[in-house]
Amino acid sequence: MKTHLCLLLASALLVTGLQADNEVYRTWTDTQGRKLEATFRGIENGNVFLQVRNGYVYRLSLDKLSAVDQEAAKTLKPEGLGIPSDPNLAQAAAQIDMLVEAGLKKADQKPNPLASDEQFVRRVFLDLAGRIPTREEALEFINDTSLSKRAKVIDRLLDSEGYRSHLFNYFADMLRMADVAQKARFYTYQDWLKGQIAENVPWDKVVHSMMTADGKLLENGATGYLLRDAGMRLDNLSLTLSTFIGANVSCAQCHDHPFADWTQRQFYEMAAFFGATETYGAKGNAGGGMQGMRKLIASLDDRRMQQQAKNVLRVNGLAVEDSSTNDLKLPDDYKYPDAKPGDLVTPKLITWSDDKAKKAYQGVQTTKHDEQLREQFAKWMTSPDNPRFGMTIANRMWKHIFGVGVKEPVSDIDDPNASVNPALLHHLAHEMVRFKFDLKQFLRVLCNTQTYQREATSHELADNTPYLFPGPILRRMTAEQAWDSCATLVVGADVDKFKGHRGETYAKAMNIDFSQDASPDVVKGQIENAIASMRQFGGGKGDGNPKKNARKKRMMKQNADNEEDLTLAPPVRDGLVLARASELPQPEKDQHFLRMFGQSDRQIADSESEEGSIPQVLMLMNGEAQRVIGQNDSLVVKTASAQKTQEQQVDSLYLSFFSRKPKPDESANAIAGLNNGMTMRDLTWVLFNTREFIFVE
Amino acid sequence: MTLHNQLDPISRRAFCERWASAALGVTVLHGLGGSAFAAEAAQSGAPSGPGFGKAKNVIFLQMIGGMTHIDTLDPKEGPTQGPKAPIKTKADFQLGGTMENLAKQADKFSIIRSMTSKTGVHAAGQYVIRNGYEQRGTIRHPNIGAWAQHFLGSSHKTLPSNVCVNRQPQNGNGFFPSSFSPLPILDPDVGLQYAKSEASPDQMTKRLAMLEQLDAGFRDRFQTSEVKSYSQFYDKTISIMSSTDLEAFHLDDEPEALKEKYGKNKFGQGCLLARRLVEKGIRYIEVAKGGWDMHNNIDDGLDEHGTELDVALSALLEDLKERGLLESTLVVLCSEFGRGPKLNGNGGRDHHPKVFSTLLAGGGIKGGYIHGSSDKEGMAVADKQVSPQDFLSTIGWSLGLPIDEVVMSPSNRPFTVGDKGKAVMEVFA
Repeated sequence: MKTHLCLLLASALLVTGLQADNEVYRTWTDTQGRKLEATFRGIENGNVFLQVRNGYVYRLSLDKLSAVDQEAAKTLKPEGLGIPSDPNLAQAAAQIDMLVEAGLKKADQKPNPLASDEQFVRRVFLDLAGRIPTREEALEFINDTSLSKRAKVIDRLLDSEGYRSHLFNYFADMLRMADVAQKARFYTYQDWLKGQIAENVPWDKVVHSMMTADGKLLENGATGYLLRDAGMRLDNLSLTLSTFIGANVSCAQCHDHPFADWTQRQFYEMAAFFGATETYGAKGNAGGGMQGMRKLIASLDDRRMQQQAKNVLRVNGLAVEDSSTNDLKLPDDYKYPDAKPGDLVTPKLITWSDDKAKKAYQGVQTTKHDEQLREQFAKWMTSPDNPRFGMTIANRMWKHIFGVGVKEPVSDIDDPNASVNPALLHHLAHEMVRFKFDLKQFLRVLCNTQTYQREATSHELADNTPYLFPGPILRRMTAEQAWDSCATLVVGADVDKFKGHRGETYAKAMNIDFSQDASPDVVKGQIENAIASMRQFGGGKGDGNPKKNARKKRMMKQNADNEEDLTLAPPVRDGLVLARASELPQPEKDQHFLRMFGQSDRQIADSESEEGSIPQVLMLMNGEAQRVIGQNDSLVVKTASAQKTQEQQVDSLYLSFFSRKPKPDESANAIAGLNNGMTMRDLTWVLFNTREFIFVE
Repeated sequence: MTLHNQLDPISRRAFCERWASAALGVTVLHGLGGSAFAAEAAQSGAPSGPGFGKAKNVIFLQMIGGMTHIDTLDPKEGPTQGPKAPIKTKADFQLGGTMENLAKQADKFSIIRSMTSKTGVHAAGQYVIRNGYEQRGTIRHPNIGAWAQHFLGSSHKTLPSNVCVNRQPQNGNGFFPSSFSPLPILDPDVGLQYAKSEASPDQMTKRLAMLEQLDAGFRDRFQTSEVKSYSQFYDKTISIMSSTDLEAFHLDDEPEALKEKYGKNKFGQGCLLARRLVEKGIRYIEVAKGGWDMHNNIDDGLDEHGTELDVALSALLEDLKERGLLESTLVVLCSEFGRGPKLNGNGGRDHHPKVFSTLLAGGGIKGGYIHGSSDKEGMAVADKQVSPQDFLSTIGWSLGLPIDEVVMSPSNRPFTVGDKGKAVMEVFA
């Protein structure tokens, strides 16, 4: 035991690069006289939690402490907010806090006070699970007396269905995921991404798969990334670079970048890595079969059938294949002296001037085989040594949780030193790599920081003042958070149950085997089947109508066992399908709550809007959502109505909407309203229309 | 001068306070202080010249995806000609084969055939042709409607001065207050959705009073511009709900035959709605139309989208003329870029920012006039190059905006209408 504690002390002293100075330290002594300088974080189940200066948290048995310190542990008020679930996590979180605090100190600013349990539980549900907690979920947390409850709820939410749904929404906006592109349905792409998130596949692997995916969209959803922009490989590359490595090159597509390193030539050299990638119409092995099919189609008598068969074929033709030659040429209007318009371009990777070691470039050799070009690019881009890949996703995830990036915009990270806290940004990038691109673990650390668990900033920042993270910023809910929260008010936590899985159904219906030996009759039969199922998906365009399908399925199911199974079909009220946004059409149609509240149209990357508008406010005041929330069959109304006294009813409403109890004057005002002819429905309308509801504290 | 133009924290706060002082549903604000700017402009010897201030209203038709110039406004013969041969018009120039109806209205508009832009990326190009500045991560630039509201004040006492049809507002207010943001009408047939409350007036009064009471604590604690801006939207929405001007958005009041004439599609009905809004005194109306990103099968694309444009725009010009509104209404047609002269392997054309065309009509614009030209193939500008900045400055000029006047953003950066572009004076009669 003696050596053990000494070793611990030694290791604690080794890491001295980061030191907090804002905390209250005291020297703790054990029964054998050994000493530890640490902050008291709390006591639980006979264990004392002590945090040393580098952030590591020790768990020591109470009876091993000296009598004086045992007394101290019983009487001292714990510093910080509870105890973490594991000591390494605590240290990682503390290191981030120290860097944030160093940044604040330099600017002579102070961090915000720590957030209350009520503020924290609503925020962490919205940030990790994408919806507000139900009244029960909020109460469970608030009434939990354990010291580790914050760490526990973070862990729980990271493993919830809501996590998958919420992170999908973020990436769907970033990647412009739309149900319909290239006149086909991209459901398999969506299902693939949801699967990757659910399995917590490391981010480098996810991106690598998107860059290198082969085959048909119907058989390999990961091809969706390149096929989304089939025929527009320059645009696609421009987005790839800005989205994944924060290289702002969109100008260089047409001319030399006016203020960053990139030239137009360099842009084309990067694009050449995709110069042998065929995304428009399958030509290779599958193509041979396709040509036979075209003949077969021509032989069909019915012209309408012919047209539909063509559509089926086109969907089957959406595939990524590698050809053996890179055919990328400089544009006709290329105007720089280093090359001529129309010259073939040799692939070459960009470099950053601050990347001295260039480790990501090692092992990426020039290949004679053009079909391997994509692979090389993907290897380089997703390498842990790529100076921007880890940093970009780290900065994005930081923004996802804190509401604003350390470097803005997140799609331009060319100069990390132009960020508000370069040391923090570099550290986050380093941590992302250290966690091997495990996004869940990264988010777990962020949520366990004191910085995250502080109150949201309440004052208006002077223009052009950098935000140094005294706490999270006050944010309006995203469209998806708001919608999912509305659905939660009506149906409770069950809202997480329904999952779309449209990819599987669609692929099964549309996929046709073009292998040479399939007889024309067999293929013809397949095409006929596919045409029949296309009708189910609403033909070439329109929205895969989950409303209709949901009703149909519910009726079937209800007849079978007279009980709603929410995993099969979501509840529908007044025409609103009460499923998570991630399971509804991507994007929703223009007039849907989601779009009116700012859901991206999925045409422009990262274009979700958090602005208000008159039509949006009209919808909040007079639309379906307020009605459905206030009806008697809505969970929030049912729960409140079941309470005995008016006071308890108002408490119940407040807990459902805001995860807190009303203040005395609020309660008195609401009760006065109830006694003055206002109904429960009126009160739900009022709470739904408050700024407090749509903002995340 | 800067004192008035600079949206410093003080005038921003004053703005918010003015909104806050609007009692629920009754108080209506006139002018929004804009009259002060107008008076100022008049005193300081406002610019003048042909066309200046002729337009009281603007209908800004934005084709999304990159409208092919060769198949619409700048037809070519020879190898780069598209699927349809050019056709004759009422004026002494030709139009693309799909523009049959527009050909009959050629005496009502000018075409600029020498537009050029720097970017071949959709979003970036759309941003520049709408706002005159390159898209930046650090600031949002206003559209011309927001500039006009800044310089001229509100165009209507309850309705917004800035409306966008078939598109999201996409921060059209730029660095101006969010109440300058275009009011989006996402579907012209639906109009302003949810304008009527389900609650009785008495019930609504109680609800609104309670809302003020129960949200007061939060609004007190979080006095950020985001929260305040939401409160402004609520105030403005409540005043719109209690106004009769809402019928401006009811397309149902238009005769069926006229609806048919504009084309029963979102763009056609959007143009009809724009005319209705002009009549009601709304200054700036954007109408967007997608479908122009014709990488494949341009022939099919033109049959659908080219025809929709042709039908709607010609109906709009005729309708405005008949109602005597064309002289005071500037109609412009633009897109983020043109499309390449060479047909690609898929029977389509690819992005081509190097040269493209725009159209202007009404509001003091010459009829039957062509400004500038592209070369024989439609590949590059041959004569009188016009940038998106020049184009937007022309619109600003027509509206009577002081286009040279520098306005400081809240972040203290200088901006002008159309980023110091030069108005194309030749298009004015």
